[in-house]
Amino acid sequence: MAVSWLRKLASRTQVPVFPVLGKQGDRALRYLALSPEIELVDSPRHASVLLIAGEVPADRFEPLRRVHDQLPYPFTTLWFRSEPWPHLENVPRVEKLDELPGALITAHRELMAGQRDSAPRILTDKPPNPWKGEGDFGQGGEGMMGGVPYGRPMAMNMQDDIRDGLTLDSLTFRLGPFFSAFPPGMMAEITLQGDLVQTWSTQLAPYPQSLDPVFFTARERPVPIAELELARARHHLHRLFQALRLAGLENASLDALRLAQNLSTSSTLGGLRRRLVRSGFFRLSSMEGGVLDPEQARQIGGPAARAAGLDDDLRLEDAGYRRLRFSPACQTHGNTRARWQQTLNEIDQSLHLAQQAERDEVYTSEVDRIETPRGPWSEQGPEDASPLLDEVLPGLEWGEALATVASLDVAAVVNEGGGTQTPDELRVVQGGSGNVFK
Amino acid sequence: MELLTLLFILLLSLGAGLLVQWLPMRHQPMPTYPQRAPFLGGGTPDSHAWSRYHVRYYPMTLLLIAFEMEMMFMYPWAVVFVETGMKAMMEMGMFLAILSVGIVYAWREGVFKWQ
Repeated sequence: MAVSWLRKLASRTQVPVFPVLGKQGDRALRYLALSPEIELVDSPRHASVLLIAGEVPADRFEPLRRVHDQLPYPFTTLWFRSEPWPHLENVPRVEKLDELPGALITAHRELMAGQRDSAPRILTDKPPNPWKGEGDFGQGGEGMMGGVPYGRPMAMNMQDDIRDGLTLDSLTFRLGPFFSAFPPGMMAEITLQGDLVQTWSTQLAPYPQSLDPVFFTARERPVPIAELELARARHHLHRLFQALRLAGLENASLDALRLAQNLSTSSTLGGLRRRLVRSGFFRLSSMEGGVLDPEQARQIGGPAARAAGLDDDLRLEDAGYRRLRFSPACQTHGNTRARWQQTLNEIDQSLHLAQQAERDEVYTSEVDRIETPRGPWSEQGPEDASPLLDEVLPGLEWGEALATVASLDVAAVVNEGGGTQTPDELRVVQGGSGNVFK
Repeated sequence: MELLTLLFILLLSLGAGLLVQWLPMRHQPMPTYPQRAPFLGGGTPDSHAWSRYHVRYYPMTLLLIAFEMEMMFMYPWAVVFVETGMKAMMEMGMFLAILSVGIVYAWREGVFKWQ
């Protein structure tokens, strides 16, 4: 009696979903973030549904198996636009984005009501190394620091400290590719001493990101600048959404996402900017780190370069933009704070440009050299810049390092536009309602 | 008799606490080893996370204790000061001077700089 009542109660709560992002899975994440019945959690331990959003490449199957087995009993999985593994039986697969929240809610309710069995564990129930009964006290080995208690060796000091020479135990681990604070698909091997990043080596590059189709059209023929600039502002707002989530400012992040969804030439940034200033986002101490030198800034390009004082912008070469008297605004410090200030200024600038361009019906003139929100695209599109993190992050505290990763747009850009979205979905996900030229 | 009652209450509350924990867990198997591994977004750790590291606020807490000791001695001193007058004042001055040497030293070592 009591149990069935508890089950009913559990099935009516928000659905705790842990999203595993495959290629182009971030769209589904943003869509779900605005669904009131869905709660996106940051750890599989808090989830009852594992959502695999987008195609996961084969070299990330092993990490996916590990994440799959970390959900507590009972749990279920749902595959969005990706092929479920053949040995998982009766696994629902969803294709349409607007059906996704409903499918997640149904899966959760059925699971809680006992109508659906929990997903099976994939990995065998074995410790990483055998340890039980070994050693004098059954602790897994010889001596004080020897052996592998609970299957893993104890931390030992293996590297000299780079902060103040006080060498203590270093902790080496691999993080990702399904860690929510990283760009989707990125994996890094990290050594920490306390909270200080001692070494960082990026092992798997983030998935190439897809830009708004208008940027790919702009490579073929002149497009309305208003449309291009709105898409640019939307891209930056999506990145801001991720950063604000990481900073723990959940409501502000949803504000940024809603603004991106309803973006039109009449939108203004004032409200969001005031909110960010009041919430102390720019005063966070973790915003000091991640200073790029000019060479590193040039390699990443785009807003990151302009935040470091380089006024490179291909829009300067475009006659349409010159008609609108465009000139790039820059920052000087090149740290995380400067990058976010730069990003906000660029969103503001894009909205103003879009407003002017819509009034005067200005089109781009260049097609071979365009400035994407990720950086310049002339002969080649923006390439993966994640190896640069190996140079920038060592020496930073953990919070600074994560804030730096969130502020740098390092993923490459896919070479073909559009992806697998229908025009309807584009409107749903990206909120093109204010798109006057469609 | 009172002790026995107290012991009884203790046992009863302990038993109730354990029962509440045991009831929902009784049909569930132990979490598997892969489930118990730390969550690293699909990554793996090389070692346990039981590592010795420097708590950076440690010297600051030591200093807080120094300040607190100073305050603790000042309360009874305030009473004595009324009776003894200038002599107590000078003694307290010496005490504070010795303590402030410690604070000045800590300052020089950069303890007040938050790391």
